[in-house]
Amino acid sequence: MDETVAEYIRRTVLKIPRHEIMEMLTTWDFLSKTQLQTINMHQIKESISQEVVELCEVITSIVNDQTMSNSHNFVFTISGIFSCITGEETDSFNLADFKYNFKRSLRSALKNVTINFREYEDNATWIRIAWGTQYTKPNQYKATYVVYHSQTPYVFISSLRNRIPLLCQALVHASNYHDIHEMELRSRCLDSLKDIVFKRYCQTFQTYHPRPLQERNVAPEKVDPRIIQVNKREKERIQSVNQEVFGEGLQPKIEFAQYKLETMFKGEPEMDILTEKEPFRCVVKFSSPHLLEALKSLAPAGMADAPISPLLTCIPQKARNYFKIKERKGILSASCLGP
Amino acid sequence: MRRSGRPSLRRRQDMDTPDSGGKTPLGRKTAETGINFTSSTRFSRGLTFIRGHTLFGQSPTRRIIPQTSLLQENADSQKIAFLLRKQWTLYSVTPMYKFSYDNLKEYSRLLSAFVAAEKQKGLAVEVGNDLGIKVTLSTILGLKGTDQDQVAILVQIASRSQLPFENAEDKVVWSGWFCCISGDDLLESVPEDFTCLSLFLANGAESYTAIVGSWFQKTFDCYFSRLTISPLNLAWMAAMWTGCKVDSHIAATELVFSVPCIPQSLDISYAIHPEDAKALWDTVQKTPGEVTQEEVNLFMDCLYSHFHRHFKIHLSATRLVKVSTSIASAHCDGNIKILHSKHLIGVLMLLTELAISQIQ
Repeated sequence: MDETVAEYIRRTVLKIPRHEIMEMLTTWDFLSKTQLQTINMHQIKESISQEVVELCEVITSIVNDQTMSNSHNFVFTISGIFSCITGEETDSFNLADFKYNFKRSLRSALKNVTINFREYEDNATWIRIAWGTQYTKPNQYKATYVVYHSQTPYVFISSLRNRIPLLCQALVHASNYHDIHEMELRSRCLDSLKDIVFKRYCQTFQTYHPRPLQERNVAPEKVDPRIIQVNKREKERIQSVNQEVFGEGLQPKIEFAQYKLETMFKGEPEMDILTEKEPFRCVVKFSSPHLLEALKSLAPAGMADAPISPLLTCIPQKARNYFKIKERKGILSASCLGP
Repeated sequence: MRRSGRPSLRRRQDMDTPDSGGKTPLGRKTAETGINFTSSTRFSRGLTFIRGHTLFGQSPTRRIIPQTSLLQENADSQKIAFLLRKQWTLYSVTPMYKFSYDNLKEYSRLLSAFVAAEKQKGLAVEVGNDLGIKVTLSTILGLKGTDQDQVAILVQIASRSQLPFENAEDKVVWSGWFCCISGDDLLESVPEDFTCLSLFLANGAESYTAIVGSWFQKTFDCYFSRLTISPLNLAWMAAMWTGCKVDSHIAATELVFSVPCIPQSLDISYAIHPEDAKALWDTVQKTPGEVTQEEVNLFMDCLYSHFHRHFKIHLSATRLVKVSTSIASAHCDGNIKILHSKHLIGVLMLLTELAISQIQ
């Protein structure tokens, strides 16, 4: 077995807390039960990991399940694959063909790569790629993960900047699609990306006619006794408008949104400011552990108008969190410009 | 809960007419204007003080723009280059009693011993082992606003090189420097034996800062305290520094806001192209040679209203925590990074003023 791979397994086992090692090894599922039983768990970790490596000598495929289950450690970008229109599209997805073509395409461009596949229940195919160069062995510690749901035209890639063209080429070739392009949507939470793209969150429907306030069975809030007057109507209006634009239910979890603004500066009419015709260029970045929930709580907290700007609420619908906003005849529009 | 209201120049002019001195506008409904949540200068609106003569620690309504004063002739350029592009933590220092510039060598020796002793506390080490730590106190020439300013002092803790050869360099592990730029007002009111070096900047491990600070406090009967920067002063910095002319290494003017009072923390970074930010400031800033509170307010309000137009969020209700410009960047916790030597004096002058107002 490759030295670097052996070292990689050894270090990975060392990282696992002692009481979880057996559990992890069982989930990894590439050592048989009898093999697992032979490992002496009462020795120092160094020796345990050494034993594991020796047992793995015969294994050819390594997929690091531990990192995969901690998928929130990566920043995933989404690539959308355009569907092919020339009729070369195969009707049934053949996993074996896909794997073969993918490997072949990638290997033809770069000899030193380690490619591993893993299938999961929800039709997701995980591909782990460790990159090397012409002269160096693949770096197992900085692997890229690709998640492909064969029934959908979406691929999720854990962040890597310089290998994307190569990867995309291999994906296109393997999946028999026409083209591939990167979407402007990134997050640390893979499940949220899936929610947004597969439209699994609770969607909102734009209404343009004000609705009468609906009675809701709301449990009475614990009100601070020092508050002597509350503008209840306004409060309820804000709540209902907020629900409308954000939708009920939990928002998908994304961590940041970036807006590149190139609109004209327009101050108050009384401010005689900047009468130039040049756009006022700025970049606004919002960041939060759970951005959409934070934005949802701004209007009730009084820090934003209700309804809040559609530039913010359209994030799940448009499936993007990187925007370029340009002026359009006095009306703001988010132009879906390419990256 | 704040009512949303669009900032309007007309309303501000109403409030501009100074009242009979001393009347605080607390009686006014601050809710109706809906502008500039962070501005506390409404309280000093009726008092038009020139920089320096602030009453009870209130912020001045106008500040002189420091002329891009090139450092004085004999400036220690190597040391000054060392001060740039580093993150410094800010402290204000009360005047030091019986500090003498002639005794710097003596102070170095005493402080070395003190640092070594503190570091060894609790360790079983043989007597006489000095842990290879050397402390040096030296002057930094050229860091003066006026001639009355005291000369700046640099303190460095270096760990002696472990390598055997002669010219192996010692590694600086901690630096701190004292300065006072244009601290005239404080100097006037201070008796003979005191040295005013009101601003202290430290870079390196917090433990060393504490040790050095406690030695100075004990030896010179002074007091160090963290210098935090209020959102109001950060806004001043954003405005003043955006207006500075910079020839190289131009960077965007970035304001970072933190949103309080919501379950999930939210940070908003608002970065404006440097040319556009300067163009806006140049339109706002009317009085030559000085900056007024109104101009700073207007500048910030313009930025807030441009933001509000797009996102419907009131930035004035959030907390400004960090400002970055081509000149320098400052964080509300009292951290600063200065990027251009040309504007070093100007930045230090502002910080000295903040330090002095904290200790008065």
